[in-house]
Amino acid sequence: MPITRNIIRINDLNSGFIDEFVESGRKIFGEDVLRSVELCIQCGCCTGSCPSGRRTAFRTRKIFRETSLGFKDSVLGSDDLWLCTTCYTCYERCPRGVKTTDIIRVLRNMAVREGYMADAHRMTASYVFKTGHGVPANEEVQKQRVELGLNRLPPTTHSFPEALRSVQEVLRLTGFDEIVGFNWETMELRGRI
Amino acid sequence: MKEYATFLGCIIPNRYPGIEATSTSILKYFDIELLPINGASCCPAPGVFSCFHLESWLAIAARNIAIGEETGQDIVTMCNGCYGSLAEANHLLNGNKELKDKINEILSKVGCEFKGNSKIKHMIEVFSEDIGVKKIQESMKNTLDGIKVCTHYGCHFLKPSEIKKHGSSERPRFLDDIVRATGAESIDYKDKTMCCGFGGGVRAKDIDVTLDFTREKLKNIILAGGDCIVDQCASCHLEFDRGQAEIKKIYGEEFRLPVLYFTQLIGLGLGMEQKKLGLEFQNIPAQSLLDKINGGRK
Amino acid sequence: MTNIGVYICHCGTNIAGVVDVEGLTQKVAKLKDVSLAKDYKYMCSEPGQDLIREDIKNRNLDRVVVAACSPRMHENTYKKVLASAGLNPFLLEIANIREQASWVHLDKEKTTDKALDLIKMAVAKVRMDEPLTSLSANVIQRVLVIGAGIAGIQTSLDIANIGFDVVLVEKEQSIGGRMSQLGKTFPTLDCSACILTPKMVEVSLNPRIKLFTYSEVEEISGFIGNFKAKIRKKSRGLDESLCTGCGLCQEKCPTKVPSEYDEKMGKRKAIYTLFPQAVPNIPVIDRASCLYITKGKCGVCKKVCPAGAIDYERTDEFIEEEIGAVVVATGFDPFDPVSKEEYGFGIYRNVITGLQLERLLHAAGPTKGEVVRPSDGAIPKRIAFVQCVGSRDEHANKYCSRVCCMYAIKNALLIKEHHPESEIFIYYIDIRAFGKGYEEFYKRAQENGIKFMRGRVAEIFEEQKSRNPVIRADDTLLGMVTENELDMVVLSVGMIPRSDSSKIQKMLGLAASPDGFFMEAHAKLRPVDTLVDGVFLAGTAQGPKDIPDTVAQAKGAASGALEVISHKTLQLSPLISEVDERLCRGCGDCKDVCEYGAIEIVTLDTHKVARINPAICKGCGACAVACCNGSIKLRNYTDSITFAMLDATLGGAV
Ligand SMILES: Cc1cc2nc3c(=O)[nH]c(=O)nc-3n(C[C@H](O)[C@H](O)[C@H](O)COP(=O)(O)OP(=O)(O)OC[C@H]3O[C@@H](n4cnc5c(N)ncnc54)[C@H](O)[C@@H]3O)c2cc1C
Ligand code: SF4
Ligand code: SF4
Repeated sequence: MPITRNIIRINDLNSGFIDEFVESGRKIFGEDVLRSVELCIQCGCCTGSCPSGRRTAFRTRKIFRETSLGFKDSVLGSDDLWLCTTCYTCYERCPRGVKTTDIIRVLRNMAVREGYMADAHRMTASYVFKTGHGVPANEEVQKQRVELGLNRLPPTTHSFPEALRSVQEVLRLTGFDEIVGFNWETMELRGRI
Repeated sequence: MKEYATFLGCIIPNRYPGIEATSTSILKYFDIELLPINGASCCPAPGVFSCFHLESWLAIAARNIAIGEETGQDIVTMCNGCYGSLAEANHLLNGNKELKDKINEILSKVGCEFKGNSKIKHMIEVFSEDIGVKKIQESMKNTLDGIKVCTHYGCHFLKPSEIKKHGSSERPRFLDDIVRATGAESIDYKDKTMCCGFGGGVRAKDIDVTLDFTREKLKNIILAGGDCIVDQCASCHLEFDRGQAEIKKIYGEEFRLPVLYFTQLIGLGLGMEQKKLGLEFQNIPAQSLLDKINGGRK
Repeated sequence: MTNIGVYICHCGTNIAGVVDVEGLTQKVAKLKDVSLAKDYKYMCSEPGQDLIREDIKNRNLDRVVVAACSPRMHENTYKKVLASAGLNPFLLEIANIREQASWVHLDKEKTTDKALDLIKMAVAKVRMDEPLTSLSANVIQRVLVIGAGIAGIQTSLDIANIGFDVVLVEKEQSIGGRMSQLGKTFPTLDCSACILTPKMVEVSLNPRIKLFTYSEVEEISGFIGNFKAKIRKKSRGLDESLCTGCGLCQEKCPTKVPSEYDEKMGKRKAIYTLFPQAVPNIPVIDRASCLYITKGKCGVCKKVCPAGAIDYERTDEFIEEEIGAVVVATGFDPFDPVSKEEYGFGIYRNVITGLQLERLLHAAGPTKGEVVRPSDGAIPKRIAFVQCVGSRDEHANKYCSRVCCMYAIKNALLIKEHHPESEIFIYYIDIRAFGKGYEEFYKRAQENGIKFMRGRVAEIFEEQKSRNPVIRADDTLLGMVTENELDMVVLSVGMIPRSDSSKIQKMLGLAASPDGFFMEAHAKLRPVDTLVDGVFLAGTAQGPKDIPDTVAQAKGAASGALEVISHKTLQLSPLISEVDERLCRGCGDCKDVCEYGAIEIVTLDTHKVARINPAICKGCGACAVACCNGSIKLRNYTDSITFAMLDATLGGAV
């Protein structure tokens, strides 16, 4: 087998990624929250606290390191990024006050924009487009509701069609339909799933 | 009579209506009225939608708050996820004028405005603060003596604690205090504050990972000798209840651990009929628990 | 007719790089009353100084302006130049054209204009300055040292050995501080008591040291050279002059309570001394646990004391001492890890602190030097140290406590020496082995098989039956999450400011740094001085440090205090406020605004007037501003001077 050089050329990393990342979430969280990723000292307290990392290959610490150094493709393209349950345990314990979970959320937003949104997630999103609910009512529950003395449908978008139209309009205005790939004519996701 | 605008979210009205029915009737008993927020939608789930597109998540959450605010009352949620979304949105928008203006510009197109005047509360606060442990204790009709409860706090009510400000996220106590008020015993178990596995979109995308969380928690609870789980979050509730059925399918393991939302436990203490609590519609039967309670009464 | 000389410094390129110095000099030379203007590469150099000196003599200059760096740097240098040339040193003004011009602007033309304005103002001022002479005050040639840990002990010994008197006040019943609680010390592993007790004895035998133990300073008034301290000598419940320190009372006392000194790892009696070599070796009755005092029963100690020293009713005494300088050496508290809830301290019995371990390892400690598990008394075989507990942590203290890495390594080695079969782990973020011999000490630990685990511990949980703590942590070098079941876990707690430090801080008017420790006057150049003249800092009261650094700083504080009190008199700045007693109505508004308490209202025959104590006045001018009828003037900073300066730059627009 031929020997290949197995090193990372720091010069080849995307050094602008960190700014791109900060810019992506700055308007929502403010710059300090996102820049906190650069305060990470790789102590591993987050990873040791992470219930997801205890059963998967997901390593919070690695994501923060890669983000700071500019490993854009491997951070955004990694499936592991989606293994955080947003439990905030790491956020609570990080000794450097790195806003871990917020950072992960912004990275996921970037990943989605780069086309890394899982079909299962597009599906979840599509329910909101269609019904206003991520978990819409089904026949069985409607019967249970009546048995419990409740209205067949809750007083939500399920009962108020004009409210559903408002929700849909908001999502159109924010451009969420484009992000998810939702077709208003068919009221289904674009492309095959 | 105190009134709250009730934000139902998705899982409670559309999967566990028993929680909605029980909570509403118990609050009425304690002289607290729940007003509907007509036309509310998905909160939307904090760890899911905010991960897809923060701005969309924020705009929908802001719309929910805005129509809730129109009731003139504070808003109460029953699910940590709903609480997490609405409370975080409230926090972000009230702390950032530019962001608030931007979101309001969107909302103005559908005729509403986020003002940020209402407090976002969780049902657990209504019980532990408005009603209080003492009053709950005094109203108990059925003793739950001898019942060993393992509480599960979930994540998004407590954390991040610097924003949510409900005290310790490592060793919280308020839910255990409520359990104790019913006469039941609250017992410790390993990794008590660990996440159930539901959040962050993991359940939708990698259910085996989610169920592995759930399974670990269930094992720890069984090991500690718990008779049931008591939670305060619709998502965790679904995870533990439906999750047990799914774990049985995937891993072949059966735990048969009844899962109760904390108002359902209080309902048992108040002597409410099982039917009214909606327990029989859940995946995991609560019979073992009910037997233990009734056995204890004899 | 005034003859003003103006000297403009290039400061290499620091000034000349941005300011057109030559052009500036030409413009300055044309200003009214300026008889000469010169520029030079480095005014502060000897040739630069000579230039001024020669001009004063040969060109009959009677006032001087130096346009250069901040007066904080070289005002004194130039004052001395004036004095050596026979000119009153207060006829000097500094125009700061470096910090206030060249360092903060880029545009050459505008910066040069600004420099010219600054010089114009200095010229306007110096023209009106009056010659002043320094005041002098008598100095009380004694030092008060507060706190008798190793820092206070060392400072006191140094001052006393040079031949000056010391008043040493210690809050606890014995001197020695935290160092007396330690078993052995890094990096040499010599026993703490062996190196500390000789110094303690030296303190007790030195006739120049007046020692007050079980005492606190309640009040301090006065100023540099002339402080007055009120000391409360708390009642020990016995007559110290009669007590022989035989220890019979402690032996017979029936009451046992957890010992604070042993960090609750052992018990003490209600009448007790802290440790066998206590100085003085006189016990104290703890009023909260004494049966006689709380319930009126018992009285055993009184019965058995052969000297008849016990006196339950004894009250506190108050003593006043006069001193010329103060050294604050009040030390630190260990961080309380209860707030790091994920580590379960206080819940899991086999999780203890580093200081608790010190007590276990101490030959005179509660277990006579044997390390045992609190839950069952068994000898632990698998032990882990958790570093940075309460340090380097945004949720607790941001700073590094500087000793925990080394003390953990020390105690790991000691345990390994006693029980070579034990397995020891140190969980760390970074090992900070910065001192002399420390890196070698770290290596020695590795040579002895101690395992260094790189990763901050995420959490600890307990195995219910065995009560074994389990550490969960990312092994960052492996990139794997690990769990490690242990017999005992030691939390390496950091150092925090003493919980009662705000009392001393207020009493002396000290500042605190963001970390809460007392602040030094300058982080690099005045590390033992404070911003209060005559008050110095020693040891961990100023910030976390180990014993070598504490002792070094204590010696520095001794030298600082000696510099004040070794002279019989003290020169005081004459740049202070003065009251025109003919105008003053004694309203007291000035007294209210004076931060330093320099003003007193005195009653004369017919009316009241304000009097300023020249030794306390700092010349801040607050009183001059507050005075409603202009009867207070700050010397050489009068209203007319200020207006003249404004006129000079604004061209009479005011
Ligand atoms: C667990 C642990 C292990 C350590 N091991 C080592 C080691 O091996 N080697 C090493 O070099 N360093 C070690 N250190 C550090 C060492 O303890 C300190 O450097 C040293 O004790 C500092 O001395 P100090 O005099 O500044 O403070 P302290 O020892 O705290 O002394 C301060 C004294 O002032 C008194 N006092 C406080 N307030 C007042 C008041 N208001 N009035 C009067 N008196 C007052 C206190 O009672 C005390 O006696 C260790 C520290 C810890 C926590
Ligand atoms: S806990 Fe904080 S500092 Fe430590 S590795 Fe994680 S993000 Fe970095
Ligand atoms: S918030 Fe995400 S990354 Fe952090 S501990 Fe929880 S699951 Fe892990």
